[in-house]
Amino acid sequence: MANPLRGEVIKLYKTLLYLGREYPKGPIYFRERLKSAFMKNKDVSDPEKIKQLVAKGDYVIKELEALYFLRKYRAMKKRYYEPEK
Amino acid sequence: MAARVLVQCVRSLARPSLRLCSGNPAVRAAVLPSVATHRPLSFAADSRRTRWLGQSQIPSVGALCRQYSDLPPLTLGNIEDRVMYVLKLYDKISPEKLLTSSHFMKDLGLDSLDQVEIIMAMEDEFGFEIPDSDAEKLMTPEEIVQYIADKKDVYE
Repeated sequence: MANPLRGEVIKLYKTLLYLGREYPKGPIYFRERLKSAFMKNKDVSDPEKIKQLVAKGDYVIKELEALYFLRKYRAMKKRYYEPEK
Repeated sequence: MAARVLVQCVRSLARPSLRLCSGNPAVRAAVLPSVATHRPLSFAADSRRTRWLGQSQIPSVGALCRQYSDLPPLTLGNIEDRVMYVLKLYDKISPEKLLTSSHFMKDLGLDSLDQVEIIMAMEDEFGFEIPDSDAEKLMTPEEIVQYIADKKDVYE
């Protein structure tokens, strides 16, 4: 409970939850997956391991951002350019 | 004549939103008589306001002043209504078990991640951010109401 890394984990969860609202398959799907991913590691207590997992979470955040960026780019391209033959 | 047409338009606009906001006939009954006394625009604003207020104090506030798109003043009562409303919509809480004093983890069987989700829902509902250090202390609906009232300077 009093783990100093707790705040970081909560912050990560919040950020991911926030990003997940625009997930293509819907926020509910995303939320369930996110929850189970966090619950899978709930017994981890080694600080090193937690840091590693948080880093993995940060990586997922970057992936999600890239995904949204790509989606936006594709939508723009579809609207503004002729389809390729 | 033109005024009458305008009234018709506004009414037909306002009605769907009324129907959406609540199936509660008492609210509709409370709002509809005021149509005659109101000018059409303020009526439209009124029907929006009911969405936030539930059934409390619609006629008194609505009749005195126009608030345009501003929300009605917060009171402890309507903060509590909104908090409970958000909590009831949350799928992991069963509405029957929910009381203002129930502890999220002990009484409702949620975990700390669910609690984070609840706090995020409150941030959305009330439109301000709750820092993590405060968020982890908010464990019952009562505490949330008290916290929001403190932050928004509501004392009655």
